[in-house]
Amino acid sequence: MMSWFGAIAILSATTIFGFEWAKRVRERPKQLRELKVTLQALEAEIIYGSTPLHEAFQHIGRPLKEPLSSFFLVISDLLEEGELSVQEVWDRQLAVLAQETSFKAGEIEVLRQFGSTLGRHDKEHQQKQIQLTLAHLNREEKEARDIQERYEKMCKSLGVLMGLLIVILLM
Amino acid sequence: MGLDVNAVFQIAGLGIIVAMLHTVLKMIGKEDYAHWVTLLGFVVALFMVITLLDDLFQKVKGVFLFQN
Repeated sequence: MMSWFGAIAILSATTIFGFEWAKRVRERPKQLRELKVTLQALEAEIIYGSTPLHEAFQHIGRPLKEPLSSFFLVISDLLEEGELSVQEVWDRQLAVLAQETSFKAGEIEVLRQFGSTLGRHDKEHQQKQIQLTLAHLNREEKEARDIQERYEKMCKSLGVLMGLLIVILLM
Repeated sequence: MGLDVNAVFQIAGLGIIVAMLHTVLKMIGKEDYAHWVTLLGFVVALFMVITLLDDLFQKVKGVFLFQN
């Protein structure tokens, strides 16, 4: 009786682990796409609106979903306080973002480089930097989708099978 | 006899699970991992068999050599 209870507990734990893993794999391309759209919105704000950076961040951050939204809104707030430079704020919030989203080191590095150019150049240079970042993110997104296709199913079935294996070994 | 049947089922289940793991890993193109998993499953099954055989030998020793 007790051993069946333990078996079910182990099995459900590994199954949940597998599904969480699959969810992380599935979320990454989605969040990357969202980030790309956001960067394009930022480009429009800078090129056509000539909006100051903290207002632009507020405009693009508001319609987004949670982890990305608070990323931009917090940066906007910190910029309005005006104690830190853009790059310092950006780097600090990027560390938070890296923990909360499924982004990997590649796109975090791309974003870090983008942040170091933010607010330093004129419009045309800024637009070029955004285009460059978008190109990098495109590549990352392609890779992320490739990984998703291959790994999503594997993560789920691997979780269940590992649980079954452990249960059988301990029985 | 009950314990014996249980052990046989355990080894059979181990074989099935390891075979499924092998297929899944091979399907996504990680054949090296698939082979390692199969090898590990084989080793574990071998350990189970060895414990059972050890039991048998101890019993044989106990019967014929009057030890234990």
